[in-house]
Amino acid sequence: MSRIDAIKRHLVEEYELGTAPAELADDYDLLRNGVIDSLALLTLVSWLENEYALDIDAADVVPDNFRTAASIDAFVAAAVTTAKVG
Amino acid sequence: MIAWSKDDERLKEGISLWFGKFDEDRPRYGREPAFPREPWLAVMESGILRLPFDEKWGGLGQSLLTTMYVLEELGRCCRNTGLNFGITTHMVSTGVALQRFGSTALKDAHLPQVCAGTAVGTHAVTEPDSGSDALGMRTTATADGDCYRLSGAKAFVGNGPVADLVVVYARTEPAAGPLGVTAFLVARDTPGLTFGDPVEGTGLKSAPLCSLFLDDCRVPRTHILGRVGAGLLVLDHVRTWEILCCFIVGTGEIRRRLDRCVAYAGERSAFGRSVGGFQAVAKRIVDMKIGLEMSRKWLYDTAEKFTAGRKVTADLATAKLVADRIAATLGLGRAA
Ligand SMILES: Cc1cc2nc3c(=O)[nH]c(=O)nc-3n(C[C@H](O)[C@H](O)[C@H](O)COP(=O)(O)OP(=O)(O)OC[C@H]3O[C@@H](n4cnc5c(N)ncnc54)[C@H](O)[C@@H]3O)c2cc1C
Repeated sequence: MSRIDAIKRHLVEEYELGTAPAELADDYDLLRNGVIDSLALLTLVSWLENEYALDIDAADVVPDNFRTAASIDAFVAAAVTTAKVG
Repeated sequence: MIAWSKDDERLKEGISLWFGKFDEDRPRYGREPAFPREPWLAVMESGILRLPFDEKWGGLGQSLLTTMYVLEELGRCCRNTGLNFGITTHMVSTGVALQRFGSTALKDAHLPQVCAGTAVGTHAVTEPDSGSDALGMRTTATADGDCYRLSGAKAFVGNGPVADLVVVYARTEPAAGPLGVTAFLVARDTPGLTFGDPVEGTGLKSAPLCSLFLDDCRVPRTHILGRVGAGLLVLDHVRTWEILCCFIVGTGEIRRRLDRCVAYAGERSAFGRSVGGFQAVAKRIVDMKIGLEMSRKWLYDTAEKFTAGRKVTADLATAKLVADRIAATLGLGRAA
């Protein structure tokens, strides 16, 4: 499964979106639609850290990195590269 | 339990020499809802406010655990609970937020005064219509060139009546939920920022609170802590420190009461023996001791886990409830 699909599956299962992962659009606004509340944000960050062996800096937890499944995927892609280089 | 180093012990003993001065004139501060200005001068001189901050900015470069170790002793020795509350609020609300999330320029400009205590700090999260539901806040921050314009009202601002620096949390993107809040460092004299009258907190007379009003208050972008939208994460970090530091002071306070109970149970006699020899009294003292050690264990273990970079959301909530229930039960004179 591609990374973006794994992220979608996590979002759908964890936050009970009532839709199939494949039907969740890459650009569905998770913030505006209230999918991610304060607790969900913290659990999502820790899930990403465990799943992709990342140490996410709180300063990177900003709207543009978490607005959609695609932006989360892009953020993880960049973070994975940095983690490998660093 | 943690084995404290000789350095930790020496540091604790050195700073605790000041605690008698912190406690001076306590009856007065138990009567008037006023910030204890004179004891605060001793607080500044003692160096306690410098504990967890980098030496570069005038701090003592100590860990969270060592900071808590000294704060526990503060609770045991200083009976001015309002002053103790003011100390932890100042350290965590402003110092910890600034050290972790401020830019180097912002730290250079303000952290030395926070370490010294010459600038008193606080934070403004709560509003008249949103407390526990912090994300329900309505204070807004609207981008305007190199500034943000803040408008709204805050409530229950600890240290507020005397604060020189306030970390204000405001909404930068109304529809972005938990990523729609940003933390700003705002100086007291910023035009558009006004403070309400002091309000006394129950049991904390010497830690008066106040309201705060922001009327189109312009704050430079450079005063943002973290990034735009990262306010919840700033708050999460600060709240973790706040609970650990504030509640460890509380366990020091329990320790003082326990010591007094033990002493009294030994001194007071009835039916030809000290009352501590009666099982009903001894049991209550043992329960106090168990409660105290449970609180300490939860707080220090959570601090160790947090320092190791692990997630402590559930541990912190448990530690807070355990310590809180024990303090409340013992405070009401019942066995824990
Ligand atoms: C001494 C003191 C100092 C303070 N200092 C500061 C400060 O410096 N800066 C700042 O911003 N704020 C400060 N506060 C405010 C504090 O953060 C709020 O009081 C707190 O967030 C609770 O909000 P509230 O008082 O509006 O109560 P509410 O949130 O309105 O709660 C009312 C009642 O409802 C219960 N409740 C709420 N939500 C739930 C839920 N989900 N489940 C079950 N029960 C619930 C609560 O337990 C409580 O009993 C301070 C408060 C005190 C007492």
